[in-house]
Amino acid sequence: MPESPLSREVAADAVNPLGLEGIEFIEYATSRPQALGQVLETVGFRPIARHRSREVLLYRQGEMNVVVNATASGSPQGTGPAETPAIAAIALRVHDAAAAYRRALELGAWAVPVQVEVMELNIPAIHGVGSSRIYFVDRHREFSIYDVDFTPIPTVDPKPPSLTGLRWFGIVQYIGNERMEDWSEFYASLFGFRALPDEERFGILPKGRVLASPGNGAARFYLQLIEPEPGILDIEGDESLQRIAFGTPDVPATVAALRARGVRFVDSESLRPDEHGALTQAQLGGVAFEFVRAAQI
Amino acid sequence: MSQSSGRIDDFGMDTISLAGPLPAKLLAVREAGFSQIMLSARDLVGHAEGVDAAVAAVRGSGLRVTGLQVLRDFEGLSGRLHDYKVDIAKTMLELCSAVGAKVLLVCSSTSTHATGEREAIARDLRKLAMLAVPRGIRVAYEALSWGRSIEKFPDAWEVVCRADMPNLGLGLDSFHIFATQTPLEDLDILDPARIFLVQLADFMWQEIRSVEERVATARHFRVFPGEGAHSQEVVQLVTRLHAQGYRGDYSFEVFNDDYQQMPPATVASRARRSANWLGEDILRRSVPLPGRMRLNARGAP
Repeated sequence: MPESPLSREVAADAVNPLGLEGIEFIEYATSRPQALGQVLETVGFRPIARHRSREVLLYRQGEMNVVVNATASGSPQGTGPAETPAIAAIALRVHDAAAAYRRALELGAWAVPVQVEVMELNIPAIHGVGSSRIYFVDRHREFSIYDVDFTPIPTVDPKPPSLTGLRWFGIVQYIGNERMEDWSEFYASLFGFRALPDEERFGILPKGRVLASPGNGAARFYLQLIEPEPGILDIEGDESLQRIAFGTPDVPATVAALRARGVRFVDSESLRPDEHGALTQAQLGGVAFEFVRAAQI
Repeated sequence: MSQSSGRIDDFGMDTISLAGPLPAKLLAVREAGFSQIMLSARDLVGHAEGVDAAVAAVRGSGLRVTGLQVLRDFEGLSGRLHDYKVDIAKTMLELCSAVGAKVLLVCSSTSTHATGEREAIARDLRKLAMLAVPRGIRVAYEALSWGRSIEKFPDAWEVVCRADMPNLGLGLDSFHIFATQTPLEDLDILDPARIFLVQLADFMWQEIRSVEERVATARHFRVFPGEGAHSQEVVQLVTRLHAQGYRGDYSFEVFNDDYQQMPPATVASRARRSANWLGEDILRRSVPLPGRMRLNARGAP
Protein backbone atom coordinates (compact mmCIF):
# COMPACT_ATOMS: atom_id res chain seq x y z
CA MET A 1 0.00 0.00 0.00
CA PRO A 2 1.55 3.36 -0.95
CA GLU A 3 2.26 5.51 2.05
CA SER A 4 0.42 8.79 2.15
CA PRO A 5 2.23 11.74 3.73
CA LEU A 6 0.47 11.38 7.07
CA SER A 7 -0.14 7.64 7.12
CA ARG A 8 2.42 7.01 9.85
CA GLU A 9 0.66 9.30 12.26
CA VAL A 10 -2.82 8.15 11.29
CA ALA A 11 -1.84 4.50 11.48
CA ALA A 12 -0.46 5.12 14.94
CA ASP A 13 -3.86 6.30 16.11
CA ALA A 14 -5.49 3.03 17.13
CA VAL A 15 -8.42 4.88 18.68
CA ASN A 16 -9.34 6.66 15.47
CA PRO A 17 -7.86 4.56 12.67
CA LEU A 18 -9.51 6.50 9.84
CA GLY A 19 -9.19 9.95 11.32
CA LEU A 20 -13.00 10.00 11.47
CA GLU A 21 -14.42 13.48 11.90
CA GLY A 22 -18.15 13.01 11.86
CA ILE A 23 -20.84 12.85 9.19
CA GLU A 24 -20.52 14.68 5.89
CA PHE A 25 -24.02 13.83 4.70
CA ILE A 26 -26.84 11.37 5.11
CA GLU A 27 -28.65 10.16 2.01
CA TYR A 28 -32.24 9.10 1.67
CA ALA A 29 -33.57 7.17 -1.30
CA THR A 30 -37.20 7.52 -2.31
CA SER A 31 -39.37 7.65 -5.38
CA ARG A 32 -41.21 10.59 -3.78
CA PRO A 33 -38.41 13.12 -3.29
CA GLN A 34 -40.71 16.13 -3.07
CA ALA A 35 -42.81 14.59 -0.33
CA LEU A 36 -39.69 13.79 1.66
CA GLY A 37 -38.35 17.28 0.94
CA GLN A 38 -41.42 18.79 2.54
CA VAL A 39 -40.91 16.65 5.63
CA LEU A 40 -37.27 17.68 5.82
CA GLU A 41 -38.25 21.34 5.52
CA THR A 42 -40.56 21.06 8.50
CA VAL A 43 -37.58 20.12 10.66
CA GLY A 44 -35.48 22.99 9.37
CA PHE A 45 -33.69 21.79 6.24
CA ARG A 46 -33.62 23.91 3.08
CA PRO A 47 -33.07 22.70 -0.47
CA ILE A 48 -29.91 24.42 -1.68
CA ALA A 49 -28.64 22.55 -4.74
CA ARG A 50 -29.49 20.07 -7.48
CA HIS A 51 -27.31 17.30 -8.81
CA ARG A 52 -25.93 17.98 -12.30
CA SER A 53 -27.12 14.76 -13.89
CA ARG A 54 -29.40 12.89 -11.55
CA GLU A 55 -32.63 13.48 -9.71
CA VAL A 56 -30.85 14.30 -6.49
CA LEU A 57 -31.39 17.27 -4.19
CA LEU A 58 -29.15 18.62 -1.46
CA TYR A 59 -30.76 19.92 1.73
CA ARG A 60 -28.89 21.73 4.45
CA GLN A 61 -29.22 23.34 7.83
CA GLY A 62 -26.25 24.47 9.88
CA GLU A 63 -23.49 21.91 9.46
CA MET A 64 -25.85 19.14 8.35
CA ASN A 65 -26.29 17.96 4.77
CA VAL A 66 -29.03 15.61 3.63
CA VAL A 67 -29.09 14.19 0.12
CA VAL A 68 -32.41 13.04 -1.30
CA ASN A 69 -31.88 10.60 -4.12
CA ALA A 70 -34.71 9.64 -6.47
CA THR A 71 -32.60 7.88 -9.09
CA ALA A 72 -32.19 4.18 -9.54
CA SER A 73 -28.57 3.96 -8.42
CA GLY A 74 -28.26 1.70 -5.45
CA SER A 75 -31.32 -0.27 -6.44
CA PRO A 76 -31.47 -3.40 -8.51
CA GLN A 77 -31.17 -2.58 -12.17
CA GLY A 78 -34.26 -1.19 -13.77
CA THR A 79 -36.00 -0.53 -10.48
CA GLY A 80 -36.11 2.80 -8.75
CA PRO A 81 -36.01 3.41 -5.03
CA ALA A 82 -39.05 2.45 -3.01
CA GLU A 83 -41.78 4.94 -2.26
CA THR A 84 -41.13 4.83 1.47
CA PRO A 85 -37.97 6.84 2.05
CA ALA A 86 -35.07 4.82 3.41
CA ILE A 87 -31.71 5.95 4.73
CA ALA A 88 -29.54 4.80 1.86
CA ALA A 89 -26.11 6.02 2.88
CA ILE A 90 -23.97 7.66 5.50
CA ALA A 91 -20.99 9.66 4.29
CA LEU A 92 -18.17 9.77 6.80
CA ARG A 93 -15.57 12.49 6.96
CA VAL A 94 -12.19 10.83 7.14
CA HIS A 95 -8.59 11.92 6.95
CA ASP A 96 -7.85 10.15 3.66
CA ALA A 97 -10.79 8.65 1.78
CA ALA A 98 -8.72 6.41 -0.49
CA ALA A 99 -6.72 5.04 2.43
CA ALA A 100 -9.86 4.52 4.51
CA TYR A 101 -11.48 2.66 1.63
CA ARG A 102 -8.44 0.42 1.09
CA ARG A 103 -8.18 -0.32 4.79
CA ALA A 104 -11.87 -1.25 4.99
CA LEU A 105 -11.54 -3.65 2.04
CA GLU A 106 -8.42 -5.14 3.57
CA LEU A 107 -10.41 -5.92 6.71
CA GLY A 108 -13.34 -7.49 4.87
CA ALA A 109 -15.71 -4.76 3.70
CA TRP A 110 -17.59 -5.09 0.39
CA ALA A 111 -16.70 -2.47 -2.18
CA VAL A 112 -19.46 -0.61 -3.99
CA PRO A 113 -18.64 -0.33 -7.69
CA VAL A 114 -18.80 3.33 -8.63
CA GLN A 115 -20.64 4.65 -11.64
CA VAL A 116 -19.28 8.10 -12.17
CA GLU A 117 -20.59 10.36 -14.89
CA VAL A 118 -18.47 12.95 -16.61
CA MET A 119 -17.33 15.73 -14.29
CA GLU A 120 -18.49 13.92 -11.18
CA LEU A 121 -16.51 13.02 -8.11
CA ASN A 122 -15.58 9.46 -7.41
CA ILE A 123 -16.57 8.95 -3.80
CA PRO A 124 -15.39 5.54 -2.55
CA ALA A 125 -18.04 3.51 -0.78
CA ILE A 126 -18.55 0.19 0.96
CA HIS A 127 -21.71 -1.74 1.69
CA GLY A 128 -23.32 -1.18 5.06
CA VAL A 129 -26.39 -2.69 6.67
CA GLY A 130 -29.17 -3.90 4.37
CA SER A 131 -28.92 -2.10 1.05
CA SER A 132 -27.24 0.98 2.57
CA ARG A 133 -23.76 2.30 1.84
CA ILE A 134 -21.00 4.01 3.72
CA TYR A 135 -19.11 6.71 1.81
CA PHE A 136 -15.70 8.06 2.66
CA VAL A 137 -15.19 11.78 2.11
CA ASP A 138 -11.98 13.68 2.72
CA ARG A 139 -10.76 17.21 1.98
CA HIS A 140 -14.07 18.45 3.39
CA ARG A 141 -12.27 21.44 4.82
CA GLU A 142 -10.58 22.67 1.66
CA PHE A 143 -13.51 22.45 -0.68
CA SER A 144 -17.01 21.09 -0.84
CA ILE A 145 -17.84 17.91 -2.73
CA TYR A 146 -21.13 19.54 -3.59
CA ASP A 147 -19.40 22.24 -5.65
CA VAL A 148 -18.47 19.62 -8.21
CA ASP A 149 -21.58 17.47 -8.47
CA PHE A 150 -24.28 20.00 -7.63
CA THR A 151 -25.63 23.22 -9.08
CA PRO A 152 -26.80 25.76 -6.50
CA ILE A 153 -30.47 26.66 -6.56
CA PRO A 154 -30.50 30.38 -7.47
CA THR A 155 -31.45 32.97 -4.85
CA VAL A 156 -31.31 30.44 -2.04
CA ASP A 157 -29.09 30.96 1.01
CA PRO A 158 -26.48 28.20 0.61
CA LYS A 159 -25.83 28.14 4.35
CA PRO A 160 -29.16 28.24 6.14
CA PRO A 161 -28.74 28.33 9.91
CA SER A 162 -29.80 25.34 11.96
CA LEU A 163 -33.13 25.47 13.71
CA THR A 164 -32.72 25.82 17.49
CA GLY A 165 -29.11 24.65 17.27
CA LEU A 166 -29.82 21.23 15.74
CA ARG A 167 -26.86 19.06 14.83
CA TRP A 168 -26.15 15.43 14.00
CA PHE A 169 -26.41 13.20 17.01
CA GLY A 170 -26.58 9.73 15.54
CA ILE A 171 -28.36 7.02 13.64
CA VAL A 172 -30.52 4.18 14.88
CA GLN A 173 -29.93 0.83 13.22
CA TYR A 174 -32.34 -2.08 13.53
CA ILE A 175 -30.57 -5.42 13.61
CA GLY A 176 -31.63 -9.07 13.59
CA ASN A 177 -31.79 -11.38 16.58
CA GLU A 178 -28.40 -12.24 18.04
CA ARG A 179 -26.67 -9.79 15.74
CA MET A 180 -25.45 -7.34 18.38
CA GLU A 181 -21.91 -8.70 18.58
CA ASP A 182 -21.57 -9.01 14.78
CA TRP A 183 -22.46 -5.39 14.14
CA SER A 184 -20.52 -4.08 17.12
CA GLU A 185 -17.42 -5.80 15.77
CA PHE A 186 -18.10 -4.49 12.26
CA TYR A 187 -18.18 -0.88 13.42
CA ALA A 188 -15.34 -1.31 15.91
CA SER A 189 -13.02 -3.00 13.49
CA LEU A 190 -13.69 -0.93 10.37
CA PHE A 191 -14.20 2.51 11.95
CA GLY A 192 -13.07 2.44 15.56
CA PHE A 193 -16.50 2.72 17.22
CA ARG A 194 -16.72 1.61 20.86
CA ALA A 195 -19.72 0.52 22.92
CA LEU A 196 -20.89 2.77 25.73
CA PRO A 197 -21.67 1.25 29.11
CA ASP A 198 -25.35 0.27 29.47
CA GLU A 199 -26.04 3.03 31.99
CA GLU A 200 -24.92 5.71 29.54
CA ARG A 201 -27.92 6.49 27.36
CA PHE A 202 -29.40 9.50 25.64
CA GLY A 203 -32.89 10.72 24.88
CA ILE A 204 -36.08 8.87 25.66
CA LEU A 205 -35.49 5.65 23.69
CA PRO A 206 -32.71 3.84 25.54
CA LYS A 207 -32.97 0.35 24.04
CA GLY A 208 -30.17 -1.70 22.60
CA ARG A 209 -26.50 -0.80 22.50
CA VAL A 210 -24.99 2.59 21.76
CA LEU A 211 -21.69 2.80 19.90
CA ALA A 212 -19.71 6.03 19.99
CA SER A 213 -17.64 7.11 17.02
CA PRO A 214 -14.04 8.12 17.51
CA GLY A 215 -13.38 11.82 17.48
CA ASN A 216 -14.42 14.45 19.98
CA GLY A 217 -16.74 17.43 20.08
CA ALA A 218 -18.67 18.02 16.90
CA ALA A 219 -16.99 15.02 15.24
CA ARG A 220 -18.49 12.54 17.71
CA PHE A 221 -21.70 10.77 16.76
CA TYR A 222 -23.50 7.63 17.84
CA LEU A 223 -24.93 4.46 16.37
CA GLN A 224 -27.67 2.79 18.34
CA LEU A 225 -28.17 -0.90 17.55
CA ILE A 226 -31.59 -2.29 18.39
CA GLU A 227 -32.60 -5.95 18.27
CA PRO A 228 -36.18 -7.12 17.75
CA GLU A 229 -38.36 -7.37 20.83
CA PRO A 230 -37.92 -10.71 22.61
CA GLY A 231 -40.25 -13.32 21.19
CA ILE A 232 -40.42 -11.72 17.77
CA LEU A 233 -39.20 -14.02 15.06
CA ASP A 234 -36.33 -12.80 12.97
CA ILE A 235 -37.80 -11.77 9.66
CA GLU A 236 -35.22 -12.03 6.95
CA GLY A 237 -33.89 -8.81 5.53
CA ASP A 238 -35.24 -6.58 8.26
CA GLU A 239 -31.93 -4.96 9.13
CA SER A 240 -31.76 -1.30 8.19
CA LEU A 241 -30.84 2.22 9.17
CA GLN A 242 -34.05 3.19 10.88
CA ARG A 243 -33.90 6.89 11.78
CA ILE A 244 -31.73 9.92 12.32
CA ALA A 245 -31.30 11.46 15.75
CA PHE A 246 -30.56 15.18 16.07
CA GLY A 247 -28.86 16.77 19.03
CA THR A 248 -30.31 19.94 20.51
CA PRO A 249 -29.24 21.98 23.55
CA ASP A 250 -32.87 22.47 24.57
CA VAL A 251 -35.36 19.74 23.64
CA PRO A 252 -38.54 21.55 24.81
CA ALA A 253 -37.56 24.65 22.82
CA THR A 254 -36.92 22.52 19.75
CA VAL A 255 -40.19 20.66 20.20
CA ALA A 256 -42.09 23.95 20.56
CA ALA A 257 -40.42 25.43 17.47
CA LEU A 258 -41.12 22.34 15.41
CA ARG A 259 -44.71 22.06 16.59
CA ALA A 260 -45.21 25.61 15.38
CA ARG A 261 -44.01 24.39 11.97
CA GLY A 262 -46.54 21.57 11.97
CA VAL A 263 -44.34 18.70 13.18
CA ARG A 264 -46.22 16.15 15.26
CA PHE A 265 -44.60 14.18 18.04
CA VAL A 266 -45.31 10.83 19.57
CA ASP A 267 -47.14 11.81 22.73
CA SER A 268 -48.56 8.86 24.67
CA GLU A 269 -48.53 7.39 28.15
CA SER A 270 -45.35 5.46 27.51
CA LEU A 271 -43.52 7.88 25.25
CA ARG A 272 -43.75 11.66 25.16
CA PRO A 273 -41.44 14.60 24.64
CA ASP A 274 -39.56 15.70 27.74
CA GLU A 275 -36.34 17.56 28.48
CA HIS A 276 -34.26 14.48 27.50
CA GLY A 277 -35.70 13.85 24.09
CA ALA A 278 -38.59 13.49 21.69
CA LEU A 279 -39.66 11.39 18.72
CA THR A 280 -41.67 12.61 15.74
CA GLN A 281 -44.60 10.66 14.40
CA ALA A 282 -43.62 8.61 11.39
CA GLN A 283 -44.53 10.08 8.02
CA LEU A 284 -44.52 8.80 4.44
CA GLY A 285 -44.65 5.23 5.71
CA GLY A 286 -41.75 5.36 8.12
CA VAL A 287 -39.74 8.57 8.30
CA ALA A 288 -39.31 9.61 11.93
CA PHE A 289 -36.76 11.84 13.61
CA GLU A 290 -35.49 11.65 17.14
CA PHE A 291 -34.29 14.62 19.17
CA VAL A 292 -31.84 14.22 22.00
CA ARG A 293 -30.53 16.71 24.53
CA ALA A 294 -26.91 17.39 23.74
CA ALA A 295 -24.64 20.25 24.68
CA GLN A 296 -23.99 22.92 22.10
CA ILE A 297 -20.54 22.63 20.57
CA MET B 1 -41.75 -29.86 13.23
CA SER B 2 -44.44 -32.47 13.32
CA GLN B 3 -45.41 -34.73 16.18
CA SER B 4 -43.89 -37.76 14.53
CA SER B 5 -40.63 -36.06 13.62
CA GLY B 6 -39.79 -34.53 17.02
CA ARG B 7 -36.19 -35.38 17.73
CA ILE B 8 -35.34 -36.04 14.11
CA ASP B 9 -35.46 -32.31 13.42
CA ASP B 10 -32.02 -31.88 14.95
CA PHE B 11 -30.58 -33.87 12.05
CA GLY B 12 -30.29 -33.21 8.38
CA MET B 13 -28.62 -34.59 5.30
CA ASP B 14 -25.86 -33.26 3.11
CA THR B 15 -26.73 -33.19 -0.58
CA ILE B 16 -23.31 -34.68 -1.32
CA SER B 17 -24.48 -37.98 0.20
CA LEU B 18 -27.00 -38.42 -2.59
CA ALA B 19 -26.85 -39.08 -6.32
CA GLY B 20 -28.90 -37.24 -8.91
CA PRO B 21 -29.95 -33.68 -9.63
CA LEU B 22 -30.87 -31.22 -6.87
CA PRO B 23 -34.68 -31.57 -7.10
CA ALA B 24 -34.40 -35.35 -6.69
CA LYS B 25 -32.16 -34.86 -3.65
CA LEU B 26 -34.52 -32.35 -2.06
CA LEU B 27 -37.45 -34.67 -2.61
CA ALA B 28 -35.65 -37.71 -1.18
CA VAL B 29 -34.55 -35.82 1.92
CA ARG B 30 -38.00 -34.42 2.55
CA GLU B 31 -39.76 -37.71 1.92
CA ALA B 32 -37.43 -39.45 4.37
CA GLY B 33 -38.84 -37.09 7.00
CA PHE B 34 -35.98 -34.64 7.39
CA SER B 35 -36.68 -30.94 7.82
CA GLN B 36 -33.24 -29.55 6.95
CA ILE B 37 -30.57 -29.95 4.32
CA MET B 38 -26.90 -29.01 4.03
CA LEU B 39 -26.30 -27.77 0.51
CA SER B 40 -23.25 -28.08 -1.63
CA ALA B 41 -22.56 -25.08 -3.85
CA ARG B 42 -21.95 -27.53 -6.67
CA ASP B 43 -25.56 -28.72 -6.43
CA LEU B 44 -26.80 -25.18 -6.88
CA VAL B 45 -24.61 -24.05 -9.74
CA GLY B 46 -24.93 -27.43 -11.48
CA HIS B 47 -28.72 -27.20 -11.73
CA ALA B 48 -29.80 -27.84 -15.30
CA GLU B 49 -31.84 -24.63 -15.42
CA GLY B 50 -29.31 -22.47 -13.64
CA VAL B 51 -28.73 -21.08 -10.19
CA ASP B 52 -31.99 -19.14 -9.95
CA ALA B 53 -33.96 -22.30 -10.61
CA ALA B 54 -31.85 -24.12 -8.00
CA VAL B 55 -32.55 -21.38 -5.44
CA ALA B 56 -36.26 -21.54 -6.22
CA ALA B 57 -36.21 -25.33 -5.86
CA VAL B 58 -34.57 -25.08 -2.43
CA ARG B 59 -36.87 -22.31 -1.24
CA GLY B 60 -39.89 -24.21 -2.49
CA SER B 61 -38.81 -27.50 -0.90
CA GLY B 62 -39.98 -26.60 2.58
CA LEU B 63 -36.58 -27.69 3.90
CA ARG B 64 -34.55 -25.40 6.12
CA VAL B 65 -31.03 -24.83 4.85
CA THR B 66 -28.50 -25.99 7.44
CA GLY B 67 -25.66 -24.29 5.60
CA LEU B 68 -23.67 -24.14 2.39
CA GLN B 69 -20.42 -25.92 1.67
CA VAL B 70 -17.62 -25.57 0.98
CA LEU B 71 -15.04 -22.83 0.65
CA ARG B 72 -11.64 -24.48 0.24
CA ASP B 73 -8.05 -23.34 0.53
CA PHE B 74 -9.02 -19.82 1.57
CA GLU B 75 -6.66 -18.90 4.36
CA GLY B 76 -2.94 -18.24 4.45
CA LEU B 77 -2.52 -17.02 0.88
CA SER B 78 -1.05 -13.71 -0.15
CA GLY B 79 -1.05 -11.24 -3.01
CA ARG B 80 -2.92 -12.26 -6.12
CA LEU B 81 -3.92 -15.67 -4.74
CA HIS B 82 -5.46 -14.07 -1.69
CA ASP B 83 -7.41 -11.56 -3.77
CA TYR B 84 -8.64 -14.37 -6.00
CA LYS B 85 -9.86 -16.38 -3.03
CA VAL B 86 -11.60 -13.35 -1.52
CA ASP B 87 -13.53 -13.07 -4.77
CA ILE B 88 -14.49 -16.75 -4.58
CA ALA B 89 -15.55 -16.27 -0.97
CA LYS B 90 -17.77 -13.34 -1.91
CA THR B 91 -19.47 -15.44 -4.55
CA MET B 92 -20.09 -18.21 -2.00
CA LEU B 93 -21.52 -15.67 0.46
CA GLU B 94 -23.82 -14.31 -2.23
CA LEU B 95 -24.95 -17.87 -2.89
CA CYS B 96 -25.62 -18.29 0.84
CA SER B 97 -27.80 -15.18 0.82
CA ALA B 98 -29.68 -16.31 -2.26
CA VAL B 99 -30.53 -19.70 -0.86
CA GLY B 100 -31.08 -18.62 2.74
CA ALA B 101 -28.05 -20.40 4.20
CA LYS B 102 -27.00 -18.87 7.51
CA VAL B 103 -23.78 -20.86 7.77
CA LEU B 104 -20.90 -21.07 5.31
CA LEU B 105 -18.60 -24.03 5.85
CA VAL B 106 -14.90 -23.40 5.27
CA CYS B 107 -12.39 -26.19 5.50
CA SER B 108 -8.76 -25.77 6.42
CA SER B 109 -6.37 -25.17 3.58
CA THR B 110 -4.50 -27.94 1.83
CA SER B 111 -2.68 -25.53 -0.47
CA THR B 112 1.09 -25.74 -0.68
CA HIS B 113 1.01 -22.01 -1.45
CA ALA B 114 -0.54 -21.23 1.93
CA THR B 115 1.43 -20.27 4.98
CA GLY B 116 0.96 -22.22 8.18
CA GLU B 117 1.50 -19.11 10.25
CA ARG B 118 -1.37 -18.95 12.72
CA GLU B 119 -1.45 -15.18 12.81
CA ALA B 120 -1.97 -15.00 9.04
CA ILE B 121 -4.61 -17.75 9.09
CA ALA B 122 -6.50 -15.96 11.86
CA ARG B 123 -6.32 -12.65 10.00
CA ASP B 124 -7.75 -14.17 6.83
CA LEU B 125 -10.55 -15.96 8.68
CA ARG B 126 -11.38 -12.72 10.45
CA LYS B 127 -11.62 -10.98 7.10
CA LEU B 128 -13.88 -13.70 5.75
CA ALA B 129 -16.16 -13.42 8.78
CA MET B 130 -16.24 -9.64 8.35
CA LEU B 131 -17.37 -10.12 4.75
CA ALA B 132 -20.16 -12.31 6.12
CA VAL B 133 -21.40 -9.80 8.74
CA PRO B 134 -23.59 -7.57 6.54
CA ARG B 135 -25.25 -10.68 5.11
CA GLY B 136 -25.94 -12.21 8.51
CA ILE B 137 -23.96 -15.33 7.74
CA ARG B 138 -21.84 -17.28 10.19
CA VAL B 139 -18.59 -18.86 9.12
CA ALA B 140 -17.85 -22.38 10.37
CA TYR B 141 -14.17 -23.32 10.11
CA GLU B 142 -13.47 -27.02 9.88
CA ALA B 143 -10.19 -28.84 10.37
CA LEU B 144 -9.75 -31.11 7.38
CA SER B 145 -7.82 -34.19 8.46
CA TRP B 146 -5.42 -33.67 5.56
CA GLY B 147 -5.19 -29.92 5.99
CA ARG B 148 -1.72 -28.55 5.44
CA SER B 149 -1.23 -27.01 8.86
CA ILE B 150 -4.66 -27.25 10.51
CA GLU B 151 -5.86 -30.86 10.63
CA LYS B 152 -7.40 -31.22 14.09
CA PHE B 153 -10.21 -29.26 15.66
CA PRO B 154 -8.15 -28.02 18.64
CA ASP B 155 -5.89 -26.27 16.12
CA ALA B 156 -8.87 -24.88 14.24
CA TRP B 157 -10.26 -23.67 17.56
CA GLU B 158 -7.01 -21.91 18.37
CA VAL B 159 -7.10 -19.84 15.19
CA VAL B 160 -10.83 -19.17 15.61
CA CYS B 161 -10.09 -17.78 19.09
CA ARG B 162 -7.20 -15.78 17.74
CA ALA B 163 -9.35 -14.31 14.96
CA ASP B 164 -11.91 -13.26 17.60
CA MET B 165 -14.94 -12.55 15.42
CA PRO B 166 -18.39 -13.24 16.86
CA ASN B 167 -19.66 -14.81 13.63
CA LEU B 168 -16.64 -17.09 13.21
CA GLY B 169 -16.84 -20.49 14.86
CA LEU B 170 -16.13 -24.16 14.32
CA GLY B 171 -17.56 -26.77 12.04
CA LEU B 172 -16.92 -30.21 13.52
CA ASP B 173 -16.83 -33.34 11.40
CA SER B 174 -16.77 -36.69 13.16
CA PHE B 175 -14.95 -38.27 10.25
CA HIS B 176 -11.93 -36.01 10.60
CA ILE B 177 -11.95 -36.36 14.37
CA PHE B 178 -11.89 -40.16 14.15
CA ALA B 179 -9.43 -40.21 11.27
CA THR B 180 -6.90 -38.15 13.19
CA GLN B 181 -7.72 -39.98 16.43
CA THR B 182 -8.22 -36.67 18.17
CA PRO B 183 -9.20 -37.40 21.79
CA LEU B 184 -12.84 -36.55 22.43
CA GLU B 185 -11.80 -35.05 25.77
CA ASP B 186 -10.38 -32.20 23.71
CA LEU B 187 -13.98 -31.12 23.05
CA ASP B 188 -13.96 -29.72 26.57
CA ILE B 189 -11.90 -26.72 25.47
CA LEU B 190 -14.62 -25.57 23.05
CA ASP B 191 -17.27 -22.96 23.71
CA PRO B 192 -20.47 -24.70 22.55
CA ALA B 193 -21.91 -21.37 21.42
CA ARG B 194 -19.11 -21.16 18.87
CA ILE B 195 -19.78 -24.55 17.32
CA PHE B 196 -21.86 -23.58 14.32
CA LEU B 197 -22.33 -27.00 12.74
CA VAL B 198 -21.59 -30.66 13.44
CA GLN B 199 -21.31 -33.05 10.52
CA LEU B 200 -21.54 -36.73 11.25
CA ALA B 201 -20.16 -39.69 9.32
CA ASP B 202 -18.36 -42.89 10.13
CA PHE B 203 -16.23 -45.33 8.13
CA MET B 204 -15.87 -49.10 8.03
CA TRP B 205 -12.37 -49.71 9.33
CA GLN B 206 -10.81 -48.99 12.70
CA GLU B 207 -7.79 -47.02 11.75
CA ILE B 208 -6.48 -44.92 8.91
CA ARG B 209 -2.73 -44.98 8.69
CA SER B 210 -1.65 -42.52 6.03
CA VAL B 211 -2.81 -39.14 4.86
CA GLU B 212 -3.46 -40.63 1.40
CA GLU B 213 -5.72 -43.20 2.97
CA ARG B 214 -7.53 -40.44 4.88
CA VAL B 215 -8.32 -38.62 1.67
CA ALA B 216 -9.46 -41.78 -0.11
CA THR B 217 -11.62 -42.90 2.81
CA ALA B 218 -13.11 -39.46 3.32
CA ARG B 219 -14.08 -39.07 -0.31
CA HIS B 220 -15.36 -42.55 -1.11
CA PHE B 221 -15.97 -44.81 1.87
CA ARG B 222 -17.87 -42.90 4.51
CA VAL B 223 -21.04 -44.41 5.97
CA PHE B 224 -23.86 -43.11 8.13
CA PRO B 225 -23.43 -43.15 11.91
CA GLY B 226 -24.39 -46.59 13.20
CA GLU B 227 -23.16 -48.30 10.03
CA GLY B 228 -19.44 -48.01 10.68
CA ALA B 229 -16.68 -49.05 13.05
CA HIS B 230 -16.92 -46.11 15.45
CA SER B 231 -20.48 -46.20 16.73
CA GLN B 232 -19.31 -45.90 20.32
CA GLU B 233 -17.26 -42.83 19.46
CA VAL B 234 -20.20 -41.27 17.61
CA VAL B 235 -22.32 -41.79 20.72
CA GLN B 236 -19.63 -40.24 22.89
CA LEU B 237 -19.25 -37.32 20.53
CA VAL B 238 -22.91 -36.33 20.47
CA THR B 239 -23.47 -36.95 24.18
CA ARG B 240 -20.40 -34.93 25.09
CA LEU B 241 -21.47 -32.07 22.84
CA HIS B 242 -24.94 -32.20 24.35
CA ALA B 243 -23.59 -32.19 27.90
CA GLN B 244 -21.47 -29.18 27.02
CA GLY B 245 -24.55 -27.33 25.82
CA TYR B 246 -24.45 -27.72 22.05
CA ARG B 247 -28.00 -27.43 20.68
CA GLY B 248 -27.22 -26.68 17.05
CA ASP B 249 -27.65 -28.79 13.94
CA TYR B 250 -26.24 -32.16 13.01
CA SER B 251 -25.87 -33.07 9.38
CA PHE B 252 -24.87 -36.35 7.79
CA GLU B 253 -21.99 -35.83 5.43
CA VAL B 254 -21.45 -39.20 3.84
CA PHE B 255 -19.25 -39.34 0.77
CA ASN B 256 -19.70 -42.89 -0.47
CA ASP B 257 -19.26 -44.30 -3.97
CA ASP B 258 -21.86 -47.02 -3.39
CA TYR B 259 -24.44 -44.45 -2.32
CA GLN B 260 -23.72 -42.57 -5.52
CA GLN B 261 -25.20 -45.46 -7.50
CA MET B 262 -28.23 -46.07 -5.34
CA PRO B 263 -31.61 -44.32 -5.61
CA PRO B 264 -31.60 -41.19 -3.40
CA ALA B 265 -34.67 -42.45 -1.55
CA THR B 266 -32.84 -45.61 -0.48
CA VAL B 267 -29.85 -43.64 0.78
CA ALA B 268 -32.08 -41.12 2.53
CA SER B 269 -33.87 -43.94 4.33
CA ARG B 270 -30.49 -45.16 5.65
CA ALA B 271 -29.86 -41.62 6.87
CA ARG B 272 -33.25 -41.62 8.52
CA ARG B 273 -32.38 -44.85 10.31
CA SER B 274 -29.24 -43.18 11.59
CA ALA B 275 -31.20 -40.12 12.72
CA ASN B 276 -33.71 -42.30 14.52
CA TRP B 277 -30.96 -44.07 16.38
CA LEU B 278 -29.12 -40.90 17.38
CA GLY B 279 -32.19 -38.79 18.01
CA GLU B 280 -34.43 -41.21 19.82
CA ASP B 281 -32.03 -43.65 21.49
CA ILE B 282 -28.96 -41.58 22.18
CA LEU B 283 -29.43 -37.83 22.24
CA ARG B 284 -33.09 -37.57 23.28
CA ARG B 285 -33.16 -33.81 23.28
CA SER B 286 -36.30 -32.36 24.75
CA VAL B 287 -38.79 -31.42 22.07
CA PRO B 288 -40.38 -27.97 22.12
CA LEU B 289 -43.62 -27.52 23.98
CA PRO B 290 -46.69 -27.84 21.75
CA GLY B 291 -47.57 -24.59 20.04
CA ARG B 292 -44.19 -22.97 20.67
CA MET B 293 -41.91 -21.91 17.88
CA ARG B 294 -38.21 -22.48 18.31
CA LEU B 295 -36.78 -19.08 19.08
CA ASN B 296 -33.22 -20.08 18.46
CA ALA B 297 -33.16 -17.04 16.22
CA ARG B 298 -30.58 -18.03 13.70
CA GLY B 299 -31.85 -21.52 13.29
CA ALA B 300 -35.53 -20.69 13.40
CA PRO B 301 -38.06 -21.56 12.37
